[in-house]
Amino acid sequence: MNFFKRGLLSITRRKGKSLILLAVLFILGNVIAGAISISQATANVEESIKERLGTGATLELDYEALDSMDESEMMNFEIPNLGEELINQIGELPYVKYYDYNTTTFLASEEIESYNPMMEEAEGEVEMAGMGPQFQLKGVNYAPLLDIEEGKSELVDGRVFTDEEIENGTPVAIISKKLADLNNLQVGDTFSLSNQIYEFSESGEEEVLDSRDVPLEVIGIFEPKTVNSDSENPEEFDYMDMDFQNTIYVANALVSQEMEFAVGDMPEYEDYYVPFFVLNEPEDAEAFEEEVSPLLPELFIVRHASDSYDSIAAPIESMSNLSKYVLIASVITTILIIGLVVLLFLRDRKRELGIYLSLGEARMRVVGQIITEVLIISIIGMTLSLFTGNLLAQTVSDSLIDNDNNQREDEIYYYTEMQTDLTTEDVIDAYEVSLTGDFILLFYAVGIITILLSTVIPLIYIIRLNPKKIMM
Amino acid sequence: MILEAKDLNYYYQDGESRRFVLKNTNVSFDKGKFYTILGQSGSGKTTLLSLLSAMDTPHNGEVVFDGKNILEIGHDNYRRNKVGIIFQSYNLIPTFTAVENVLVSMSITENELPDDHKTVAYNLLDYIGISQDKANRTVNKLSGGEQQRVAIARALSTNVELILADEPTGNLDEEMEQEIIDIFKKLAHEHKKCVIMVTHSNDIAEQSDQTFYLKKGVLNTNE
Ligand SMILES: Nc1ncnc2c1ncn2[C@@H]1O[C@H](COP(=O)(O)OP(=O)(O)OP(=O)(O)O)[C@@H](O)[C@H]1O
Ligand SMILES: [Mg+2]
Repeated sequence: MNFFKRGLLSITRRKGKSLILLAVLFILGNVIAGAISISQATANVEESIKERLGTGATLELDYEALDSMDESEMMNFEIPNLGEELINQIGELPYVKYYDYNTTTFLASEEIESYNPMMEEAEGEVEMAGMGPQFQLKGVNYAPLLDIEEGKSELVDGRVFTDEEIENGTPVAIISKKLADLNNLQVGDTFSLSNQIYEFSESGEEEVLDSRDVPLEVIGIFEPKTVNSDSENPEEFDYMDMDFQNTIYVANALVSQEMEFAVGDMPEYEDYYVPFFVLNEPEDAEAFEEEVSPLLPELFIVRHASDSYDSIAAPIESMSNLSKYVLIASVITTILIIGLVVLLFLRDRKRELGIYLSLGEARMRVVGQIITEVLIISIIGMTLSLFTGNLLAQTVSDSLIDNDNNQREDEIYYYTEMQTDLTTEDVIDAYEVSLTGDFILLFYAVGIITILLSTVIPLIYIIRLNPKKIMM
Repeated sequence: MILEAKDLNYYYQDGESRRFVLKNTNVSFDKGKFYTILGQSGSGKTTLLSLLSAMDTPHNGEVVFDGKNILEIGHDNYRRNKVGIIFQSYNLIPTFTAVENVLVSMSITENELPDDHKTVAYNLLDYIGISQDKANRTVNKLSGGEQQRVAIARALSTNVELILADEPTGNLDEEMEQEIIDIFKKLAHEHKKCVIMVTHSNDIAEQSDQTFYLKKGVLNTNE
């Protein structure tokens, strides 16, 4: 009858005490299982949403730092420009899958109409004279188009750019399907935009000073892949989609030429590029940022697409924090309560422990027997609370989300290069408390470590026992 | 000579002063003999036995088993493999059955034992006077005499040559007492064990092969 068997025997011979310990462990196990369930579910949401947000990164001004500048600093501050050279240098880093940089201008057209769903609904061809530029001419450097590679849109007809076209600024364009259909344009057709220079008179009216035609040949047609096609608020107008539909992809060089025409003979004109890097893995983000930050001009920072997670995941984040606190508190409580309960039970068994020692049993084996007993009961209690704790977590988090979501203020959208169409609703939809293998493993690991820690107090008690005093 | 005490000194700290219970005690014991130690209450008999059984350590002097200091053997090792101890208050595990109590000590010792511990334990209990039916009862359902028999069986179960008993019959009636003394005599004379027993009773002392008297911290062979 080794110490393991003795432990088993002690559990079955002391049913009342075993059941009390089991009940205490079951209750505490529920709290721990619930907290781990919620914290894992929130971690899973974070991972899956960040994956959906993609591995994109851009370099932009640190607007927070700009805001905190005082006036004199502001006056002396000259916005630095990211040169093509620096962008290429960063783009060659091993973390980068592919990259692009864009310079963008807006042009009007007298020949083609822009896509505007509001107008469609109005059913009238309202003449919008002098409405200004409606087409976003987006220069690219990456011939296969990042938006297509990244799955934001797909090429439904024609082809993407060639490297020569990019380099030479050949007047070819890729336009959206909606725009093409609206204007009866097909691959191979040519349309023209007009680059107009305005001047504002004193009365505030604008006057066209100069203009030139920009003829472009359609080589490809794309269609945006919208994630939220069935928006829950149909009356909410989707400006982002409209902008996307009216985007015309051309080579950077072409945009640059038009910008130069527009600024006229203003000296020292430099192209202003917004870079976009797609990293290999989400895990590369940190290393990429570390390596890139020192290369950047003052006040520039790296911004990741996944950064916007924080702004859309508020209800999940608050639950994640709550679950962490509950977990820590319940682990500490468990260590204390189980430690004291076991100690109390051991004092009743003082004579038994003394007998083992007087028979020459090593103290470590006596300790081993007690740990065995506590662990066996713990594993039973934990296994029971595994399921109920998980269920509890589902109920609790459902009501927490409801509560939090109802109190939520309208989200503030601010436009960035990496605008996402994922919303808090998507985040909440992705949230799911489930009984996964990972959860079970983690729960047992946390549980067993907690129980082992809780046996430290009883262990000290056993180490200090003096069998002579007990028995003679 | 199986066991020897050399210049044993033991005291209890009484505030600032030391109250000596044993002063330079020298004694030796042989196999095949039944010894008794007599002394008034408080004379230090239990203290002496705790030193001989390695339940405690003397402040001076040494306990030698088979020519080896028991500190060298290791106290746990010595209790596990060399000595069987019987206490006045039985000291059995109350939630275990009689046979389970015997099995506990058999699993702790490293001494060579027959493989089938259970059979050995039942046989041993039977030999000491505990039937199989009683052997399967939890010990708190046995009488005092029966419990002390179980404790004796436990002490014998590890196949040791040295048995130390501290007033094992203190709580028993005379008839039961005599039965246990007979067992001790048999163990010493037939099984060639060394049995050392602490007692109050002169009657018992007379039945032993040799009696030591403990008085004022010194052990003598006569009163
Ligand atoms: N833990 C202790 N602390 C202080 N003094 C003690 C302690 N244990 C025993 N004593 C004292 O040591 C002396 C010897 O005690 P011991 O128990 O060895 O006597 P004993 O001969 O076994 O007595 P009894 O016949 O009553 O069992 C006694 O005077 C007792 O009061
Ligand atoms: Mg005594």
